[in-house]
Amino acid sequence: MTSLWACMTGADRLLTLALTLFALAGAGWLLSAPPGERILVDDGVQIVYQGGFDRVAELSFHGPMGTSRLAIAADGVRVIEAPCPQKLCMGMGPARRSGDLIACLPNRLLVRIVGAQPAEAVHDLISR
Amino acid sequence: MPWNRPWLLVVLLTLILAMSWWHWRPAGGEARQVRLLMGTTVEIVAFGDNQRRLEQAIDAAMDEMARLERLLGNGYPESDPDRINASDSAVTVAAETAAVLDLGLEIAQLSNGAFDLGLGRLKTLWGMEGPAPRVPDAGAVEAALAGVGPTALQLDGPQVTRRAAVAIDLGGIAKGEIVDHAVALLRRHGIEQAAVNAGGDMYLLGRHRDRPWRIGIQHPRQPGEVAATLHLADRAVVTSGDYERFFEQDGVRYHHLFDPRSGYPADACQSVTVVAESAVLADALATALFVLGVEDGLALLAHFPGSDALMIDAAGRQHLSAGMAAWLEQP
Repeated sequence: MTSLWACMTGADRLLTLALTLFALAGAGWLLSAPPGERILVDDGVQIVYQGGFDRVAELSFHGPMGTSRLAIAADGVRVIEAPCPQKLCMGMGPARRSGDLIACLPNRLLVRIVGAQPAEAVHDLISR
Repeated sequence: MPWNRPWLLVVLLTLILAMSWWHWRPAGGEARQVRLLMGTTVEIVAFGDNQRRLEQAIDAAMDEMARLERLLGNGYPESDPDRINASDSAVTVAAETAAVLDLGLEIAQLSNGAFDLGLGRLKTLWGMEGPAPRVPDAGAVEAALAGVGPTALQLDGPQVTRRAAVAIDLGGIAKGEIVDHAVALLRRHGIEQAAVNAGGDMYLLGRHRDRPWRIGIQHPRQPGEVAATLHLADRAVVTSGDYERFFEQDGVRYHHLFDPRSGYPADACQSVTVVAESAVLADALATALFVLGVEDGLALLAHFPGSDALMIDAAGRQHLSAGMAAWLEQP
């Protein structure tokens, strides 16, 4: 390597250093890209929230029947309060994997988990 | 770049080009839409190069599903089941309804009544679809089952006649038929890669871009976990489980999959997943196998070549049909 460095011109050395830094920065950027899933909340018309699992939070959404509340944690997002009579959405448990879907139909709330890179998702859909 | 430059420059440039290609490689178009239909979430995702065509095809498929919901469901003016239930004489139904009834009656007969299209009164009695489900008394259950059985309906082309005072409810089969119609419509629009998912009843059209679709099967007792992963293309998959819709009374869990022979929730399985060439067949078989249990269920499945099942019995043990392993992701 020493002999290689010695036979390079000053411009070659500068270019080599620049390309090395560029390649290292690019590799670090690709490797640090978010690997997992994102939460999309849809009110039947549009997406009203999107975010990741990197924070613990409780969110409130207002629908035709009242307020639904979601809890986001590292192990998933779940409905913790729903104004509908049967509260099936609360019984569906957490959604964490790409392809998971939770719905509160009476209050028109859809919670969908999508992969940041769908081609790499563990599951495209969940049959339940 | 001149080739008398040090090899290090060549390596670095190649590395940068490779990373750039990986990040910006063409992925093709994708369109996705979710609607609330049939009392559940319906999602269609489609892949292709023509974004406008994808979106038009999905719109048309969703509209078709909404139309069929009103035709095959209960409680709509266009409902064929409601028209049959309201008449004591023969009723002429739509071709789609006749097709569903034909398959449903075949499975009802082959399963010796473990699958039935006439459980409307029983379902109303239990109130599973309403805000206050309850365990009815035994006498009421017996009364709700009066006349129920594979011979309660007579189908002659588009003519349907009730031979007993049963209430038709196509809940165990209609969703699959509606998914199949959506898939057929996508095909007519030239779509070759798509998934139609109606609350877990789904058809996978073609492949997920360059690989089969990866479908997780919900674990019946561990929320958030999968019991198995399937790799599918051009197949339907439907799961029936006791964990989706249930209530508890006096410490006992009562779910929505009734055994037509007893009037009470079937208890032989925790879940059944069926892979078939059509969603309507997978839908009906999943319900029938759930009620029948492993031994009789797999015997029924043998009547339908090309269909396979993963059954999880009441003790949590997994049972596979002969061809199911081909669809399962190997550890």
